[in-house]
Amino acid sequence: MSQVLAVENLSLSIAGARVVDDVSFAVAKGEVLALVGESGCGKSLTAAAIMRLLPAAVRQTAGRVTLEGQVISALPEREMRALRGRRLAMIFQEPQAALDPLATVGRQIAETLRQPWPAARPAVLKMLEEVGISDPERRASEYPFELSGGMCQRIMIASALIARPALLLADEPTTALDVTIQAQILALLRRLAAERGTAVVLITHDMGVVADIADRVAVMYAGRIAETGTTAEVFARPRHPYTKLLLASIPRLADVPKSRLAVIQGLVPTPSQFGPGCRFAGRCPMAEARCSAAAPGLARIGAEHASACWRAEDMV
Amino acid sequence: MSEALRLQDLVVSYPGRDRAAIRAVDGVSLAIGAGETLGLVGESGCGKSSLANAVVGLVKASAGSIRVRGEEIVGADRARLRAMRAQVQMVFQDPATSLNPRMRVGAAIGEPLLVRKLARGAELRARVLTLLDEVGLRRDQADLLPHQLSGGQRQRVVIARSLALRPALLVCDEPVSALDVSVRAQILNLLVELQAQLGMASLFVSHDLAVVRHVCDRVAVMYLGQIVETAPAANLYAAPRHPYTRALLSAVPEPDPVLQRSRGYVPLSGEIPSPAHPPSGCRFHTRCPQAMALCKTTPPTLRRIGETEVACHLVEG
Repeated sequence: MSQVLAVENLSLSIAGARVVDDVSFAVAKGEVLALVGESGCGKSLTAAAIMRLLPAAVRQTAGRVTLEGQVISALPEREMRALRGRRLAMIFQEPQAALDPLATVGRQIAETLRQPWPAARPAVLKMLEEVGISDPERRASEYPFELSGGMCQRIMIASALIARPALLLADEPTTALDVTIQAQILALLRRLAAERGTAVVLITHDMGVVADIADRVAVMYAGRIAETGTTAEVFARPRHPYTKLLLASIPRLADVPKSRLAVIQGLVPTPSQFGPGCRFAGRCPMAEARCSAAAPGLARIGAEHASACWRAEDMV
Repeated sequence: MSEALRLQDLVVSYPGRDRAAIRAVDGVSLAIGAGETLGLVGESGCGKSSLANAVVGLVKASAGSIRVRGEEIVGADRARLRAMRAQVQMVFQDPATSLNPRMRVGAAIGEPLLVRKLARGAELRARVLTLLDEVGLRRDQADLLPHQLSGGQRQRVVIARSLALRPALLVCDEPVSALDVSVRAQILNLLVELQAQLGMASLFVSHDLAVVRHVCDRVAVMYLGQIVETAPAANLYAAPRHPYTRALLSAVPEPDPVLQRSRGYVPLSGEIPSPAHPPSGCRFHTRCPQAMALCKTTPPTLRRIGETEVACHLVEG
């Protein structure tokens, strides 16, 4: 499998606090990697850093991002701008907010191709059909407000993928959608990633979405990767206490009604509370003295499975 | 045993374009028994929040009847309404916008008792402390302001405030949707404990079927302003009768890759129609994989089969 994206030792700081700390991962052609975690875990900042679209308050203090063998983390902004939309593209949670309200759907998809509308028209109509928009001719001449949320997300996906980027970053692409529409969009993303060989980094808080679509998963907690592996392996045999508790705290359709859900005590530490040790130590039922003294690195525990826990070996 | 809530042919409509009213809730009848938790599920625009808002009196019912413990609130005068409102309290989705940012936690929780002159001074303080205990907050947190609390703690404050008057019915509109996964579990556990402890009835509105399954005794499924199926939770999840209920259940991604990928699920096609122009006949026929000619012309009525009520031409009573 050829590697499309490699993120190595990425660290991001806000006012001196490391909100993303030494994060590394890679994604291959046609593969879907999920970055999963709760609010503030750094998953969206990681995506913004790959796109080089970090908010002004966030500084990248370390790390290298490689796209198809080319290091893009140090490119001048002018060259980076030429890559966005062509070799890497991004879609967001609120499709209606991400589309230009004053441009017709067809024209804004054509913009990604950097071609005038008449020239781009055949390609745009074909792309609309590929993302499951019926009557593409009519839809291309409509404005975003005339479309539903699900349709707007299809338009976003069309404009992200029309230039055949090697990498798609999808930040909570179905969170604002209803479940029946979410199911359609996930099926669409899965099909397009496979057909076109697009590498996908999917950012989500929803373990159900991860289970549905991701080949591999990286679980993030307070700016660090707690555990990573194939989706099947991580769900079947979680080797970080945070992953294990998170999975146990989700209500499932097969649960005994009104049974007690597992609870993670306490709160996620704020960046000013980060100590030298494991950032989950304060809430971890398995924590020992060494856990708050020194941070465990992400250590390999299986062919494709790694955990950042001193006691990963004690978890069966 | 007195019923906590009974709705009969409830209609909630809003003025739309060209004078055509949008009937967000279009002829809903349902009941919640004493101590029972009814889950109301459906997608955006199905009318579930309009229904909840009508029950607490935030929007006016356009037609039909809403009885709380047997007393009619549609068309009641102001004094009666005010008395009735103590019986029905509400918990909203976003705790951050449900609390006055400048009011301390203790004052917020005690406010319903104060405005109704039910307690003051030392007694009020004692009642507030009890409420803090009930929702799992520390007593010293009474002196904090909402911004000093986490999202989960704020939702506990909102729940404590809603319990202050010991309502007959608690209406929760997406109470855990704005919370992170680990916090959501704490609040769901709390709601289940409170149901058992206080024995109050609740209407639990949510788009999340797994959450509803977790806390509810019975579930009603809404689609475009109407109830398509009502059943005891166990039956609804084990043997859904309406094609929409089945579609909704199978669209929930299960947090288990082996299970999720073995389901061979085919997503429902099409979009949710606008409630301003609901389809003719059965409103679900435009998306229903099993629609027949009859479905396009004739709306099905709710039929009772055992403990289930279902509105579908495919299901013979």
